[in-house]
Amino acid sequence: MGDKADVWQGTLALMILKTLESMGALHGYGIARRIEQISGDILSVNYGTLYPALLKLEQEGYVASEWGVSDNNRRAKYYKLTRAGRKQLAKEARDWEQTTAILAKFLSAAEQS
Amino acid sequence: MRSLRAWLLRLGGLFQQHRRDSELADELESHLAMHIEDNLRAGMSAEEARRAALLKLGGLEQTKENYRDRGGLPFLETLFQDFRFALRMFRKNPGVTAIAVLTLALGIGANTTIFSWVRSVLLNPLPGSGDPGRVVALETLAPNGDWLPTSYLDFRDLRENCKLVESMSVMKPMVLAVGNESTVEHVWSEAVSGNYFELLQVKPQVGRFFSTAEVDHEQNAHPLVVIAHSYWINHFHGDPGVIGATVRINHFPYTVIGVAPKTFHGSMAGLSFSMWVPATMYGQLSSTGDQTLRDRKWRTFRVLARLSPGASTEQARAEVQSQANQMARRDADTNEGMSATLLPLWKAHYGIQDSLLGPLSSLMAASGVVLLIVCANVANLLLARSTSRQKEFSVRLALGAPRFRLVRQLLTESLLIAAAGSVAGLAFAIPLGRSLGDLLPHSSLPTLTQAPIDAGVLFFVIALTCVVALLAGIAPAMHAAKSNVQATLKEGGRTGGSSARSARLLGWFVTSEMALATVALIVAGLFVKSFHHASEIRPGFDPDHVAIAQLSLGAANYDAEQANSFCMRLREKLEGAPGVAAVSYTDYVPLSVAAGSWEDLQVQGYVASPSENMKIYRTLAAPGYFALMKIALLEGRDFNARDDMKGPPVMIVNQEFVRRFIPSGTAIGRRVQGWGKWFTIVGVASDSKIYRLTEAPMPYFYVPIRQIYRPEMGLVFFVRTSGTMDGAISTLRQEVQTVDPTVPLLEATPLNDGISLSLFTQRISASLLSVLGSVALFLAALGLYGVMAYSVAQRTNEIGLRMALGAQRSDISRVVLGQGARLAGIGVIAGALVAFAITRLLSSLLFGVSASDPLTFVGVAVLLTMVAMAACFIPAWRAMHVDPMVALRYE
Repeated sequence: MGDKADVWQGTLALMILKTLESMGALHGYGIARRIEQISGDILSVNYGTLYPALLKLEQEGYVASEWGVSDNNRRAKYYKLTRAGRKQLAKEARDWEQTTAILAKFLSAAEQS
Repeated sequence: MRSLRAWLLRLGGLFQQHRRDSELADELESHLAMHIEDNLRAGMSAEEARRAALLKLGGLEQTKENYRDRGGLPFLETLFQDFRFALRMFRKNPGVTAIAVLTLALGIGANTTIFSWVRSVLLNPLPGSGDPGRVVALETLAPNGDWLPTSYLDFRDLRENCKLVESMSVMKPMVLAVGNESTVEHVWSEAVSGNYFELLQVKPQVGRFFSTAEVDHEQNAHPLVVIAHSYWINHFHGDPGVIGATVRINHFPYTVIGVAPKTFHGSMAGLSFSMWVPATMYGQLSSTGDQTLRDRKWRTFRVLARLSPGASTEQARAEVQSQANQMARRDADTNEGMSATLLPLWKAHYGIQDSLLGPLSSLMAASGVVLLIVCANVANLLLARSTSRQKEFSVRLALGAPRFRLVRQLLTESLLIAAAGSVAGLAFAIPLGRSLGDLLPHSSLPTLTQAPIDAGVLFFVIALTCVVALLAGIAPAMHAAKSNVQATLKEGGRTGGSSARSARLLGWFVTSEMALATVALIVAGLFVKSFHHASEIRPGFDPDHVAIAQLSLGAANYDAEQANSFCMRLREKLEGAPGVAAVSYTDYVPLSVAAGSWEDLQVQGYVASPSENMKIYRTLAAPGYFALMKIALLEGRDFNARDDMKGPPVMIVNQEFVRRFIPSGTAIGRRVQGWGKWFTIVGVASDSKIYRLTEAPMPYFYVPIRQIYRPEMGLVFFVRTSGTMDGAISTLRQEVQTVDPTVPLLEATPLNDGISLSLFTQRISASLLSVLGSVALFLAALGLYGVMAYSVAQRTNEIGLRMALGAQRSDISRVVLGQGARLAGIGVIAGALVAFAITRLLSSLLFGVSASDPLTFVGVAVLLTMVAMAACFIPAWRAMHVDPMVALRYE
């Protein structure tokens, strides 16, 4: 576990929103597993930050939560994307792409010189 | 927007922390269960699956902590914690808390009360008016710099020509007789120009106000009246139908056109008027015909002005001065040497602010000193307590509390104490604030007796609370935060090693308290001495057994002849009444708050230098005045019944008049010109005090009242009684009623009341400052006692050890008393030095005592030292009786 990268600040919210967009309603454990899987088990989600991050998104109105029953008949709290959350996801994704594009250009330019 | 929503939810979250916690626990539990299931499916053993899942979840408590921080507002939560903790600390030390709160209540209550007076008299003199900060007073200046009322014509010229004032209005307080013959009532009112309400930016409650075009030009053509809200409620039951109603004022019918709003009381600080009439009706209401508004010499009116936007008082004042100087040249016959100036309202000479400015500022300063002493006392208490809580702080620091959290905790405690003190202080400031009326000169003017506790005062209290919390709390808080964790913890179970540092701090506080108390007492002592001196001055007449009644013949619509016959009849009636030894009347009460009137004189054989002020103050007196007042006539004769309009004009002058203007030859028979007539001096009276007991002798003269009198001047009847004062006063009231019930009797009082009035500022300064000074002394002694007692308690071990090693009791008490004496001595010396520096600022308020009066300084120093020694006595006694065995075992 120690050799896995932790999810760095700021991107966790984006990953949560994206996960909820593609998977629909999901519980906290599911969100964490999904993020780890997508990253090819390179990332490790620190649960100590996952739940506060979910609470923050909920306070901001981007996700809504509800208690439900899981596939194995277990009570779990399900999170799902709200309309505002969908918009926010689009915006954040755009911002992120822009940032990475700029960084990519910058890095390749730096290599050329 | 989003973050506001989140913030609100978090604020709400503060109140459902418990529910949220249990929900998170459920959520984490289901998380864990799912993880274990997955692990089992992946082929782990049950135990392994559980262990891996727990590992992955990370610190459970830390997760909960993070979640909790996000759920609520950690800052507010810790604030609540601090509050709860502070309250718990207070419950544990109820005695200390009660003393702190009570002394703070004393300090804050005194400051709030005096601030509410300052506010209603000086800071907010025109309640109910709009933007009063731009309103200034215009005063005419006599050639010698004396301030004077302004004539209507001068006012009109200044209003035309001054561009830096947007508007200017006159006003003149008057007593009006309102109602029918049978039910006449005397109502205080102002005669004002048409733009008065516009200038003060007051909107009518009902109806309308005067308009400039309507009322400022033609004389006696607009019998209109605006009534005050209180008058409307009391006399018309708040009926809006009052507009258009007719009221009889001085026998003339006037039409009510409007009602002023409730908050508006007129244009003089601390006074409450009930009616406003146009200034152009002044002639009719005061029976002076057209003269007052047509003659530049009849300086009758107060003037208020509103500065034009962007103009400063200085600029406008320069313009007013240059205009007034031009007028002095243009109308040299009446205005030569005269000028005019603009003053902020609190500096204006009309109204109570003039006599209250000095006393109120010294009271404000003194109550500030008391508050500082209170702060030092509370700081001492908190410091002593924080020293004994050293261990608690060290443990908290050792457990990782940031130092600023400790500072915040302690400041929260001092803020809570200060807030409690403020609430208690307000509780007794409210009744005290109502006592403003007792402070004002007792006069016939209707006074607003209540200094309101309004938003401004509350804001002052809140600001004061914060300042007090900081002043009292910052030193103990910083002290606690600096505590050395290791050293304190190493001291083991001992409760609070009183470090040298905290002892120094305590000593510093006590020393400054003693210094402040010294300053307060020296200032109070100087005022008391000055009052004592002033009250021993002989006025030059005998005010005992004399009652006076002030009447307003103008309000009864008398002409000069009717006025005379009224006076004769009243005099006759009074002379026939039982218990009356002598009767006379004048237009002026000596030593009353009013300055009196003057006349430009020219003395035969005396050549005045061009800059010399020949405006000499005078009294119009009826025969018998000098005998009644026991003012000696040194030469010549008194006025008699033949000194009337038909007789040759005569005059009696005082000694100082003779000394100045008739240095050689005899005064009797000398001729003096005034009012355009030549008077012959027929008598010389001894000097007496005119305006203030503390004034130097000044030239003064008397003219027979029948030769000059006009009904709009004041009229005062004097009665010397051989019976009781109450009897004389009721005789006066009764006979006025018999002769003409429509003549308003403004006031009937013992003459001595007026004299104590002239000592009024001296008296309130002396008495209230003494009270504040004693409070300061008491609090400083309390502070010293507290520190000494604390220090002895802290040093019980040391004292026990010393005694075990052979120290005598007298040695111990010498150590304790020596420590107290050192603290007090430094404070007293420092205080005396400060007092020496600041009392010279007060020299203008003192009479007959130097600002550095050695007796006062030494007396206060001795008094303070004695009180300090008394405060140290109990701790010293306790130290002497420490039982060495008990003290050492106490370890």
